[in-house]
Amino acid sequence: MSDKAFAVLGLFDSPDGLLAAIPRVRALGLGRLEAYTPYPVHGVEKALGLKKSPLAGMVLVMGLVGALSAFLFQFWATGIDYPIVVGGKSPLAWQAYIPIVFEVMVLFATFTAGLGMLLLLNRLPFYGHPVLSSRAIAAVTRDRFALAVEALGEELDVQAARRALEEAGASPVEVVPLPAPDGPYSPNALLRGLLAVAASCLAAGLLTYWGIKLMPVLPPMVHMEDQPRVNAQAPSAFFADGHAMRLPAPGTVARGFLPYGPASREEAAALPNPLPRNAAVLALGKARYGTFCAVCHGPLGDGVPTLTAAYGAKPANLQSRTVREYPDGVIFDVITRGKNAMPSYAWALTEEERWAVVHYVRVLERAQNARDEDLK
Amino acid sequence: MSEIEAGRGAVAPVKSQEGGEGLLAALALAGGAGVLAAFFGAPAVRFWANALLWFCFYATVGLGALFLAALEHLVGARWSVPLRRVAERAGSLVLLAVLLGLPLLFSLSVLYPWTRPEARHEPFVSGKLDGWLNVPFFTARALATFALWGLAFAVLAGLSLRQDRTADPRLTLRLRRFAPAFMALYAVTVTLLAFDWLGGLEPAWYSDIFGVYVFAGSFLAGLSATALGTVRLLSRGRLPGVERDHLYNLGGFLFAFLVFWSYIGFAQYLLMWYANLPEEVFYYADRAQGGWPWVMAALALLHFVLPFFALLPRDRKGDPTLLRRAAALVLVAHLLDLYGLIFPSLSKTVVFSWPEAAFALAFGSLFCLWMRRAQSLGADMPVGDPFLRDGLEFRL
Repeated sequence: MSDKAFAVLGLFDSPDGLLAAIPRVRALGLGRLEAYTPYPVHGVEKALGLKKSPLAGMVLVMGLVGALSAFLFQFWATGIDYPIVVGGKSPLAWQAYIPIVFEVMVLFATFTAGLGMLLLLNRLPFYGHPVLSSRAIAAVTRDRFALAVEALGEELDVQAARRALEEAGASPVEVVPLPAPDGPYSPNALLRGLLAVAASCLAAGLLTYWGIKLMPVLPPMVHMEDQPRVNAQAPSAFFADGHAMRLPAPGTVARGFLPYGPASREEAAALPNPLPRNAAVLALGKARYGTFCAVCHGPLGDGVPTLTAAYGAKPANLQSRTVREYPDGVIFDVITRGKNAMPSYAWALTEEERWAVVHYVRVLERAQNARDEDLK
Repeated sequence: MSEIEAGRGAVAPVKSQEGGEGLLAALALAGGAGVLAAFFGAPAVRFWANALLWFCFYATVGLGALFLAALEHLVGARWSVPLRRVAERAGSLVLLAVLLGLPLLFSLSVLYPWTRPEARHEPFVSGKLDGWLNVPFFTARALATFALWGLAFAVLAGLSLRQDRTADPRLTLRLRRFAPAFMALYAVTVTLLAFDWLGGLEPAWYSDIFGVYVFAGSFLAGLSATALGTVRLLSRGRLPGVERDHLYNLGGFLFAFLVFWSYIGFAQYLLMWYANLPEEVFYYADRAQGGWPWVMAALALLHFVLPFFALLPRDRKGDPTLLRRAAALVLVAHLLDLYGLIFPSLSKTVVFSWPEAAFALAFGSLFCLWMRRAQSLGADMPVGDPFLRDGLEFRL
């Protein structure tokens, strides 16, 4: 305990007494005025002349900073640095950024509000506000209302403050001494020590990381890094073409995939459809046709697509005379290797499925071009 | 208690001595002549689209104000008791909406594509025609909603006015029991207003959240009308005891629901823009052509950005001048919102010329005139309400 005073504290019996006393004491300008009450009393902040908290402005600025940084980050990352087209939208489509902009704005704003209130405005963390060690504090938490004249850094005129509070109707009035400076084992010192340890851990970690990254004097685990192999897609001085990755040797066949036989469409025309024409095969053909073909050629095969044709090229009409007169093998070949704008569908359909689709295309054609005997 | 006595003294019908009513009536009549000219001189679609716009405006403002009054009964709020009469008076606009809505029932074949024979062959419309979108059922729904609006106003305002005379606390209990029923009624009829009258212009379009969107606009509009009436009465000293704290709550509500409206509106847009399904996205494609993008940008500015930042600082929410300006702005923006819901569905380019101006003059003046005349409805505060004193003592 030092002999200097932190504050002079006077107790009042009612909130009205407190409110009446504040302007009288405040007019003397003895020090910083602070009221301690068991519950929020309307009008105290006005009487004390408290300034509006700067927190709102801080939250606004940080919210806008959050929104702007989220917008710019997405703009740069998905629009400029590595443009990604998603769902046919422009990489610069601002609409998609808005949810993230909103969330980051809220994140920045709430963190600013919470941490700013606790750390900046209320100066946490600290243990034990001096007023908490006063004799009056027990009554203040129950049913009394205290007004404190607190020292503004310099000396506090204890006698004048005591007189002012007594004249304003406070009783009893007490002097709250300034707490002694922290000893080496005080909670505050302990907390500072812990913070220092945490900060030095963080600094050491960062220093190690960047030190090793930028100045590889002692690379850790050197044997794993120095392996006699090349990385995928890396250049290599060993091979004549300069690429580390090699092409398969000519004639390589992947397991389970026999090479496609016919060399030309004419050759393919001679292929017979190996599948029987039964319900199971047609069901398979219908399912695969519905999945892969109908989006462009239409559910009836008439070239009227189920999706709006956004690709320019007009899909072939499978009901046309040309297609109807194709041998099965040609249709099989077109599915396998593609034609004009149509890509190969060999990746999607096995050979068996392709033949089943050929059967189903024949069914579609027959359905639209029924002969007289079909109607009997 | 003296304030309340003073309030009860005002029950005697004070003849409004304010000027301007004659001018408003003259403006309404001049606009009415223009409306008449539009009936004969403008395309029928333009005429009825304008009538629909003002019908929706009156209905949404009136319903929003009734919602505010019923909300107080529902949650047992005290702070809003002194302002409830203002909301109830603004709620009388539903009567005007019903008057305007009845002739609109004869215009269905002009405005709504689903009434035409070719709708049978529209892929996304044909399935809805038998069960929902047909003239007899539409008319029945509309008449039922009109009747329910009249009933809601009669109960909410009628019981409250009766309490002015009798000061019977049991009426408060009856109103509290009616409030949940009103909420259900309100939810259904506002959704019907949205889906039938506004959504029906694009029968192929489908959006779950559209009803909520129209609700948000409706509550904002009713709140704005209430705020305007409150500030006006306050400036004439007719709401003794109503403080900045009450205005702050109105401003806070306005602020919160501006954000809600924008959230719902943007959520609807974002999902449809992302999914890009032909049966949904054409609604926004309609609004991305002609001059409509400018209207949409103006809507975002006037209905969100400007009032949002105007009401953002804490002290501004209780500032009468600012609240009056913000509320007037939101009402105008609400009109623009309805304009953007109705007209792009009917025209590829922005239409605004003399028929729209005549309608705005006639029905805008009528709106102001009606709101002023409604000020003679009962006392300025619900003087018989047992919670009026609590409400007046409300402090933040």
